[in-house]
Amino acid sequence: MTRELQDVLGGFAQDRDNLIPILQAVQGEYGYLTPETMEGIADYLSISESSLYGVATFYTQFKFSKPGDHNVRVCLGTACHVRGGSRIMDEVSRHLGIQAGETTEDYKFSLERVACFGSCALSPVVVVDKKVYGRMNPKKVKNILKEYE
Amino acid sequence: MNFEAIKKKAQQEWEAFNTFDKPRILVGAATCGRAAGALEVWEKFKQELASRSLEANIVQVGDLGLCYAEPCIEIATPDGLRVLYGGVTEKIVPELIEEVIVKRNPRPDLALCTFGQKRVEGVPTFEELPMASKQVRVVLRNSGIIDPSNIYHYIARGGYSGLNKALQIGPEKVIEEIRNSGLRGRGGAGFPTGVKWGLARGNKSDVKYMICNADEGDPGAFMDRAALESDPHAVLEGLAIGAYAIGANYAIVYARAEYPLAIERIEGAIRQMEEYGFLGKDILGSGFDLSIKIKEGAGAFVCGEETALMASIEGKRGMPKPRPPFPAQAGLHGQPTNINNVETLANVSEIMNRGASWFSSYGTEKSRGTKTFALAGKINRTGLIEVPMGIKLGDIIFDVGGGILDDKQFKAVQTGGPSGGCIPVKYLDMSVDYEELAKVGSIMGSGGMIVMDEDSCMVDITRYFLSFTEKESCGKCTPCRMGTQHLLHILTEITQGRGRLEYLTLLEKIGMTLKNTSLCALGQTVPNPILSTLRYFREEYVEHIVDKKCRAVVCSALFKSPCQHTCPAGMDVPKYIALIRAERFSDAYKIMLKTNPFPSVCGRVCDHKCQAKCRRRNLDEPLAIKFLKRFITDNAPRPQTTLVPLTRKEKIAVIGAGPAGLTAARDLALRGYKVTVFEELSEPGGMLRWAIPAYRLPRNTLADEINDNIKSLGVEIKCNTRVGRDISFDQVSKNFDYIFMAPGAHKSQLMGVEGENLKGVYGGVEFLRDFNTDEKAWLSGKKTLGSKVAVIGGGNSAIDAARVALRLGADVTILYRREKKDMPAAEEEILAAEDEGIKIKFLVVPLKISGKDGKATEITCQRTKLTEFDKSGRRKPVAILESEFTLGVDSVIAAIGQVPDMTFVPLESGVSVNKWSTFDLAAGSKSQTSNPKFFTGGDALTGPDTVIGAIAQGHQAARDMDAYIRKINNEPAYVEPVDEFIDVPLVVDEETEEVPQARMPELLAGDRRKNFKEVELGYEKTIAVLEACRCLRCDAEIV
Repeated sequence: MTRELQDVLGGFAQDRDNLIPILQAVQGEYGYLTPETMEGIADYLSISESSLYGVATFYTQFKFSKPGDHNVRVCLGTACHVRGGSRIMDEVSRHLGIQAGETTEDYKFSLERVACFGSCALSPVVVVDKKVYGRMNPKKVKNILKEYE
Repeated sequence: MNFEAIKKKAQQEWEAFNTFDKPRILVGAATCGRAAGALEVWEKFKQELASRSLEANIVQVGDLGLCYAEPCIEIATPDGLRVLYGGVTEKIVPELIEEVIVKRNPRPDLALCTFGQKRVEGVPTFEELPMASKQVRVVLRNSGIIDPSNIYHYIARGGYSGLNKALQIGPEKVIEEIRNSGLRGRGGAGFPTGVKWGLARGNKSDVKYMICNADEGDPGAFMDRAALESDPHAVLEGLAIGAYAIGANYAIVYARAEYPLAIERIEGAIRQMEEYGFLGKDILGSGFDLSIKIKEGAGAFVCGEETALMASIEGKRGMPKPRPPFPAQAGLHGQPTNINNVETLANVSEIMNRGASWFSSYGTEKSRGTKTFALAGKINRTGLIEVPMGIKLGDIIFDVGGGILDDKQFKAVQTGGPSGGCIPVKYLDMSVDYEELAKVGSIMGSGGMIVMDEDSCMVDITRYFLSFTEKESCGKCTPCRMGTQHLLHILTEITQGRGRLEYLTLLEKIGMTLKNTSLCALGQTVPNPILSTLRYFREEYVEHIVDKKCRAVVCSALFKSPCQHTCPAGMDVPKYIALIRAERFSDAYKIMLKTNPFPSVCGRVCDHKCQAKCRRRNLDEPLAIKFLKRFITDNAPRPQTTLVPLTRKEKIAVIGAGPAGLTAARDLALRGYKVTVFEELSEPGGMLRWAIPAYRLPRNTLADEINDNIKSLGVEIKCNTRVGRDISFDQVSKNFDYIFMAPGAHKSQLMGVEGENLKGVYGGVEFLRDFNTDEKAWLSGKKTLGSKVAVIGGGNSAIDAARVALRLGADVTILYRREKKDMPAAEEEILAAEDEGIKIKFLVVPLKISGKDGKATEITCQRTKLTEFDKSGRRKPVAILESEFTLGVDSVIAAIGQVPDMTFVPLESGVSVNKWSTFDLAAGSKSQTSNPKFFTGGDALTGPDTVIGAIAQGHQAARDMDAYIRKINNEPAYVEPVDEFIDVPLVVDEETEEVPQARMPELLAGDRRKNFKEVELGYEKTIAVLEACRCLRCDAEIV
């Protein structure tokens, strides 16, 4: 187990209740969950790796491969869908050259679809890292992604 | 500090916050505001103020709920005036500072509303805004008004008084108060909160848990997020009260990770609660201990279900458990647990503060209080609202929400998220409460309300919901795990054009299985969208399956270009527009004639629904498809229609030489039949000749088109021959093998008012027909309408009659019973009429017509007000008593609708006519009547409709008749002859710039009032070609 991982885990009691917060903290530190960190967490909580993977893979928040520097999330909630969200997804996908769930070859961008951000009144919505872009249309996609390139 | 001391300090701070020695700027910076750029505006304000060395108190606040107008900024100046500005961008910040703060000019032109006592002329107060006036803000009582990170603001406005009271009266009394309030769980199920708490209290244990479910997962719902970001204490106080009531010392807020700002606010609020003694040990000296923890969700919709939520807290897969045992008996870690939704708790704190009877004074008997709704979708004023239960659905959508975006037609509203149903137009008048929503097949749900219009496909929406629930199904129970997959697969097949009618039954069966056997509410409610759309929009499913048609033009697997798909006749619009671009006008004409024998007509009078779906409108404006069609017919010689040899022995009769009849006649002649058309009037054309005035459709344009495209094929048109008068129905039936009846709808509906039979009172189409028959007499003045004419009605016939009357020299007023936006007439017609000086009075109905010597002299009218919604989704106009006024008139023209005249159809004929005076169809046929020898189409089948609709039906009938004849004779099906191949170039622009639609040059209003010259002058070639270049070629395929 690495020093960084030990530090992160040290902030939590060795309690099953802390399983998800620990996964969230570790992913927050490393960007994703590696086989090594998963081994360390299972060990820390005294549970089998299979149980740990069983929980981690259930939740969509957890990533098991290296994400891009910038995380692009296109909302495909109902309000966004009704106001053309799928066209935004098509445009982003076309621009980045990847499908939802994938990362660009240069690891610059990851693309995800999200069910709802809760900004429905400003649909369609795209979130890049922590910034929320509302009232999207396919024209705006290029310029917004340029900001991050 | 004791509570009273804290309150005093809070009041002082709140007063200071609301005293504006220096200006105060409130920036709405909840997630909605941020998504619209509020933080950039915040920064800009700080920069600009600093650069001007101006001091101001600038604070980030929460959500007022006017999300459509975000970013919202409130500026308060030392004179006490508080003005809210909407749509504030960084660009106008300097102007706002200069004008509003420095110069004290409140800029009413930029202002949305005011708060507080001081007003600005011409600017409504917040409470007067249409979006706010019907609201009752309980959950949202502080949202957008207080600084959410300042507990004093919350306390000064009544915060923690509820908790204080609760701790004094004891848990049993608290539960009684909540029970009496009638509060029901706002997460969606609506279980009475007081009862739920009583159950949790009743189960004895040292360790109990109180959980706030902030895992708002419904796509389209953001009420909880807004509440937590804007007023976290309201929720936490409710949580503390609930914990006290049930006897729990541990509370948890389970919030979804997608809400980082909400989590940040909750964390801050918890720290403040601890600091001021509202949390921790011996709260407010009551002996009650409480700690609150936050647990973040990790992206699983199912964790909004209480047993799955608890599993998630325990670090397990979020899979539901069977109940019993219920959480109240054995929940988190096996201990008695109570879970409440965010909104429920925000209500609790205020109920304990102001009392159960205050709360229950709102709402209906079984659904007390208020409900927040997240209004989204195709609505003008998207945002967050809170209204009393029992409010009418239509009031929410049209009054509070401001109606449908772009004036489109309302189609349905979806409530309850993926667990809910779609509510159609006919229920706009329903009361919004738990029971009524369940009755129409939906649920209250958490409060998401998504408005859909004519451009939303109900099958696609349903498939969308299933794609969501299929992904989110936890997989534990077979019905949900397998069921969602199968349901999604079936719906996908239907939207891709591979559906079968049996699938509809299958959807229902699988749906009911999930409803009855799934482990948790996710699975049990999966079928709701399916069952409700099948209930109200079954025709759309059938159209997708049988006709491969998506009327909303969404399911792209079923069509290439929206324009062609929407056109009832399926005209190949992209092709002929591309040929205009290539300047091959003759070829363009040939393309048009393949589907439309009357392009010169349609290019002048079509209602062009194709343009409403043209994708170019998402960029700038739709293509001027109608005008381009006319351009071709004006600028290219009409392609020769060659005579087709008579190869069939069957003799066909067509009754009515209108667009439906003539189209069918042409198609049948092209298939080798001898066709005879019987026309009652002296010339063919139907409404085209006898109703539509010459300034819209010149006489010879129509006559030439009929000659060249119909008569030239050998079709015999017998004018002045009315079936039932000049030749009997029986005779026609005997002399011909098959008959196509397209007599149209030419009888005006009566107004039903006294004096209708006086001289000078005309039906709309009757007047137009008389004018067109006897033009000389009218133009010479022998026949006259007099100098003052009133036209009743709002459709195209009313406008036609009004514009003709004007040209005859009359002063014309149109009286319409609803509002301008409700008028069925084409927008361009209404504009043209107004340009010509015709007056239109809205919200007026005729009461009676009075006369002298048997002739009309005045019309008495009443004003109307619009009341509840009727089944068509429009508000019913109801006459206001004692609002009568009279207009002096010489003539009255009633153009309120037409019905077919079916007197020529004898009862013994076996042809069924229904109570609306239209023909009934044989089961399974689109044109055959109850007597297989007789077919029908056009207005006589559908009621008054469009020219292109009639043309399409003429095509349909011809196909059906020919197919029927061949089937009876055991002949093979008709094979379309191979047309001359016309190669259409594919030229698509790399870059597209925004360019508006080319304007149609028109005769100036002054030049056209006294004559019948054609008003629209037609495009010039360069303009037409430029316009054609705007086409995005949606029909192009990448090979």
